[in-house]
Amino acid sequence: MSRWRAVGDVLLRRAVELAILLFAISTLLFFLLRLSGDPAAVLAGEEADPATVALIAERYGLDRPLIVQYLQYLASTLLLDFGESLRGGLPAIWMVLDRLGSTLLLSFLALATTIAIAVPLGAWLGMRPDAAERKVVNGGVYVMQGIPGYIVGLILIQVFVVELRWLTSIGISSWTSWILPSLTLASFLVPKMVRVLAANVSEALREDYIRTARACGATEREILWRHAVPNALLGATALIGTQFAFLMSGALVTEWIFSWPGFGALLIESVDRLDFPVVQAAVFVIAFLVFAVNAVTDVAFRLIDPRLREQRP
Amino acid sequence: MTVGTPARPRGLSLRRLRFWREGGSGRWMLLAGLAVVLLLAIATAASLLAPPPGAFAGSLMERWKAPLEAGYLLGTDQLGRPLLARVLAGMPWSLGIALTAALISVGLGTLAGLVAAWVPGFTRRAILRLVDTVIAFPSLVIAVTVIAVLGRGFWPLALTLGLATWPIAARVVYAEAMSVARRDYVLAAQLAGVGGTTILVTHVLPALRPTLLVMLAFTFADMLIAESALSFLGLGVPLTAPSWGNMLSESREYLVEAPWMMLVPAGAIVLAVVALNLVGDGVAAISRRRARDLA
Repeated sequence: MSRWRAVGDVLLRRAVELAILLFAISTLLFFLLRLSGDPAAVLAGEEADPATVALIAERYGLDRPLIVQYLQYLASTLLLDFGESLRGGLPAIWMVLDRLGSTLLLSFLALATTIAIAVPLGAWLGMRPDAAERKVVNGGVYVMQGIPGYIVGLILIQVFVVELRWLTSIGISSWTSWILPSLTLASFLVPKMVRVLAANVSEALREDYIRTARACGATEREILWRHAVPNALLGATALIGTQFAFLMSGALVTEWIFSWPGFGALLIESVDRLDFPVVQAAVFVIAFLVFAVNAVTDVAFRLIDPRLREQRP
Repeated sequence: MTVGTPARPRGLSLRRLRFWREGGSGRWMLLAGLAVVLLLAIATAASLLAPPPGAFAGSLMERWKAPLEAGYLLGTDQLGRPLLARVLAGMPWSLGIALTAALISVGLGTLAGLVAAWVPGFTRRAILRLVDTVIAFPSLVIAVTVIAVLGRGFWPLALTLGLATWPIAARVVYAEAMSVARRDYVLAAQLAGVGGTTILVTHVLPALRPTLLVMLAFTFADMLIAESALSFLGLGVPLTAPSWGNMLSESREYLVEAPWMMLVPAGAIVLAVVALNLVGDGVAAISRRRARDLA
């Protein structure tokens, strides 16, 4: 009973946050657009003639009082009607949803890559954090943390595409073009993940149940992989929840570098072309996605870990 | 009034020496980081005072020289402009925007964090809820969206980045200020009838100095990454400005002919970011150690 109540609390809290955020973003965009000059001119694009501008002003109701415009705008936003793209005339929300699959694929690949790299490395570092060779690796992880993801991407292209010619770097069509974007996006999370895992593993190794296991004759390998690492993974999964927003920032850049057809690349193209309906639709979809992932990890934790159920979020 | 005045250390240098003697491993991180940051600051000031020659005009005869070739320390780009001069000329843009954005971000965050810690009830709940909400959203997406409206340039970029990231500082300052506000000397000041604002400025804020310094260093590094990411995406500073992100963006076209065009600005960014992280981690380690020694 209390379990499901806690879940309900979490979902409600996340939903309220999402509503506040979407409201704030729409309001900000609405007033920024009007502060920055004639919105009809901006909406019509840089090379539009006066007739087009007037047409757009009429179609979007820009000749009416500001408060009426704002309320109408909020109402249509609530119905996810962001208008049509200024290029191509398709509904903006469809253009964004069309790209959803590609971005999800990239995020999934990057998360899988992150786990594949970070779990063994973190477990190894956490076992005995003071050994000399581990200090070197620690230093390496430290420097890795200072290398922005887009530089990792460019270096990967330089090595594997330009020099070695092993892989391709553009598009989504073949699996050879999946590897570099996944590695690039993974590089955003790997250093943080390694540090958290190493800290959690070394902390878990000091717990009482490890001593019990050791006393019962478990081998070091069993202790590490059956007891310490699963416990550390709990913390690492929580990190994925809180870092998903950061991962989306990374996806923006990664998709741009590798011409990956996700909505991150679409957002940047649309900002570049001042295609506001698409910009807004993309921001809304990203917000939904981030909050959905956060809600799912929150709920999962409250179901898995009884310690979390007691405390308020 | 001898009671109220704290015992001052005799000389400032003596106190610094103690800092060094008791600093532990953090002092080496701080020293290494500060050395690089100082060099970068001097180079930035120099390139502001005397713009490096050749940063904007080169000769096509000299293009794509590799580093150390024909007397060019870091090589030249596709228009024959020496990359050393370009990196120097980019400093006021990249480092200047990052520092301004970091100051805005930490300043706003400190203000919000202090208010939330001091004013309970609705104000606190509203600020904390806003902070939670904005933190959970990708800051680069916020920045890109606001830039779509505000346009490009030094101030739009610095403002946008500062406004998109202040909640991180707010959360840290709030947590710290809450613990400081419970200390005895704050209570004593309250009982003595000192006003709220005065207490915040003269008693709580000074106790937060190490935290603020750490926040500023880390935020500076993050803003540098964000600024060059935006320039790299073509949404940052004007395309003619030699910011590090713009240089990286240009280098994409010439990865085959001149890989150093990518490696030089990339190296500059990584060097600055690692140095700033070292400063932040160093200060954090030293103040943790001091707190432990005091306890």
